[in-house]
Amino acid sequence: MDLSHHPDLLDRLAAAYALGTLRGGARRRFEAMARTSPTVRSRALLWQERFAAITELQPGEMPSPNVWKRIENLIAAQRSGAAREAQQPALVEAWRRALRLWRGAALAGTFATIAAIGVSVYLGAEVDRSQSQVAQLERERGALAQRSVQLASQLQAAPEIQYVAVLADEHSSASMLVTFDPKHNTLTVKRLGAFQEGPEKSLQLWALPPSGAPRSLGVMGDAPVIKLTAAEGQVRQVPALAISLEPRGGVPGEQGPTGPVLFKGALVPTS
Amino acid sequence: MTPATPDLHLIALLDRIAPADDGSRHAESEAALRELYDLTCSRLYGVALRVVVNREWAEDVLQEAYLSIWRVAGDYRAALSPPLAWMGLIVRSRALDFLRRRASERADAGVPLEGAVSETVAGDAPNPMDTSEASEQAWALHECLRKLETRQREVVSLAYLRDLSHSELAEQLQLPLGTVKTWIRRGLEQLRGCMARFA
Repeated sequence: MDLSHHPDLLDRLAAAYALGTLRGGARRRFEAMARTSPTVRSRALLWQERFAAITELQPGEMPSPNVWKRIENLIAAQRSGAAREAQQPALVEAWRRALRLWRGAALAGTFATIAAIGVSVYLGAEVDRSQSQVAQLERERGALAQRSVQLASQLQAAPEIQYVAVLADEHSSASMLVTFDPKHNTLTVKRLGAFQEGPEKSLQLWALPPSGAPRSLGVMGDAPVIKLTAAEGQVRQVPALAISLEPRGGVPGEQGPTGPVLFKGALVPTS
Repeated sequence: MTPATPDLHLIALLDRIAPADDGSRHAESEAALRELYDLTCSRLYGVALRVVVNREWAEDVLQEAYLSIWRVAGDYRAALSPPLAWMGLIVRSRALDFLRRRASERADAGVPLEGAVSETVAGDAPNPMDTSEASEQAWALHECLRKLETRQREVVSLAYLRDLSHSELAEQLQLPLGTVKTWIRRGLEQLRGCMARFA
């Protein structure tokens, strides 16, 4: 049906579309019509503009004065940071900060264990005469050594993120977070937005090298977090990643994407 | 010089925040951001709070939103929306990102999602909307929303601000699905009739 000949129905659908309550198949059909019909598109845009004004009508409330201080600090930090850093979306920065903190915490734990072993060895010599105390310390030392082995193996198993990409849709809203762990040859894709590809489609992840055709990095399942296997060579020196919408199961990598590219973003080394 | 309308003043501030053509920024940019913040933070905090409910989260959202505004202020020159609505959309989108990120982190950690944000739709609040500093466009919407029953106005506003489906709304507001659908349908019908007169 050509909606442009049914102004009342068009207006009703456009209002529900802009409000967000038009969902599922009905929403996809409406979007498809809007792409081809200027009448449908302009009605949808009109209602989007109208509803955007809802944000102007909410009762105001003063935030804590700390918020401005935090904004000021972050801007100052960005200014003094590398120019490249200033270009990165806030999410990447937040992610990097979290990563540094996490690494710091893990290392601090290891150092604390090593220091504790040193102290217990020293104490062991001092209280040589008291067998029971020595035995006690020996046990503690054993436990500490064991803990240290555990920590080391945890560190070994923990992912080591060396590349991060935030892939955004055409509205620049962050939709996918991609991280690469070369130690475990794992690419992790995390869905941030509400995008669902539908049962007959699959999302496929591509590396966009500086020159040449896109290279497939794998086809994503529909879980919220997807792990793909990739060697570091596949992502090293790749400036950007993209996700395209493909038929279920994806397409052969050598042909490049066949469907629309829905999300893309820069791939940034974390160190 | 006193600007003619609050909108023009906000537009001038956004222009001063944006980097020059060569990408450089002047100290003036930060002063303008500060002024923009002082003029709009309470309104935008209200939006963030309405979407995420929790005050601490709303402050995180507000911080992210002003950093976005600082980064993309130059884009406003090509935007057709009134400045406050443009900023309101940035806040809403940061707030929705925040909620999705949180939901996804909790899903990763195997923590079940917290129960629905329990909220009651006030039946008697006279008129909680605030039009001071609102744009002309917002004023038209305000006039039309004002004619709705309070509960219809509330579900319509929440559906938009939190990007919720009928069933998500029913869950969050603890109302029967049929009731939510009816209120939204009637609310939208009335709004359409009323907004057509302003077009």
